[in-house]
Amino acid sequence: MRLLLISAVFFLSSLLSFAQNNTIASGEKLTFSASYNMSGLLTELAQVTMETSAVKTSKSTLLKLKCTAATYSKWDSFFKIRDLYESYVSPKTLTPFLYNRDINEGGYKKFMKYKFDHKSKTVASLKRKKRRDGTDWEDKKTIKIDASTRDLVTTLYHIRNLDIHKASIGDSQNFTVLFDTKETVISLKYLSKETINTAIGKQECYKLAISIRNSNVLKGNNDNVIWLTADKNKIPVYAKFKIAVGSGELKIKSAAGLKH
Amino acid sequence: MKKLFIILGFVAAIIALILAVTPLSKIAYIPSIAALIFGVLVLYTAKNKGESKKSVQLIFLMTIIALALTTYKALFNTAEVGDTEQLEQKEEQLEEESLEELENLDIDEDL
Repeated sequence: MRLLLISAVFFLSSLLSFAQNNTIASGEKLTFSASYNMSGLLTELAQVTMETSAVKTSKSTLLKLKCTAATYSKWDSFFKIRDLYESYVSPKTLTPFLYNRDINEGGYKKFMKYKFDHKSKTVASLKRKKRRDGTDWEDKKTIKIDASTRDLVTTLYHIRNLDIHKASIGDSQNFTVLFDTKETVISLKYLSKETINTAIGKQECYKLAISIRNSNVLKGNNDNVIWLTADKNKIPVYAKFKIAVGSGELKIKSAAGLKH
Repeated sequence: MKKLFIILGFVAAIIALILAVTPLSKIAYIPSIAALIFGVLVLYTAKNKGESKKSVQLIFLMTIIALALTTYKALFNTAEVGDTEQLEQKEEQLEEESLEELENLDIDEDL
């Protein structure tokens, strides 16, 4: 049993480190609508986009993965959110090099930057926050990371790049995510295949449950589920998150520039 | 009994009105329905006594206003993103900054 486990871990980790990107192309744009659902009464909160584009430096071409969230105008006077998460990754393997997070949530502002150094397995982080009196303060750190640690945005895209068609129902895999300068383990479980209706048509989907280890945010009892289309693009079309009263939902509105 | 229903009816109607004004207006349907039920219950319990029905009328009035507002909002307000100019500016600025950083980084694409 132990031998089986070790070999499984080894197999998975080898998959992780040499996984080729066959799913994500530059110029892809996915738009979602985030809403709050209370016993069937859906209130739309914000628009979420996931975009990719090619970025050229003098030495190489990188893929820029960008996620933004912006509240709808009716919410702006109550609680305005303008979030930006982006990651610059290798187009071949989706390995992150630079990660930026710039959030503005109801006046709370924070900026985070991670620079990945894969040779020394460290991340140089920079945190910039606004003090109450309006001045900035910075916090620089160097964090030791695991070989397979990624940032949040890259992890999202990496999940899309997994060979889910090779997995069988009930399989699970762990990912290490660097968030708020801490390594967090996210667990993904393949629940089933399901056909659901979406704004981009009827889609056969992989139903995956997400949970965060040792956290109250996303608990591990299959309450937080994400549906990825069961084709080569593996677009996230629907996600559902359980919260104290009611649930949060993320529904796709449009998808453009897909690879397959 | 009647008093209890009047109080509950008022509370529900006021919650419905407050919710109807906020962007969370769709949820106002829940207290609206509760207020209507309590209103009917008040009428029912006070049927034969010939008492004043002013409070019940007020409950119904508030609930109808809340329902009208909520329905109007649900039908005519579409969800649109407000101004994202700041966000776009920030994106551009960040991309410039990041490009500079990336130039200085030692990048191995096959990693």
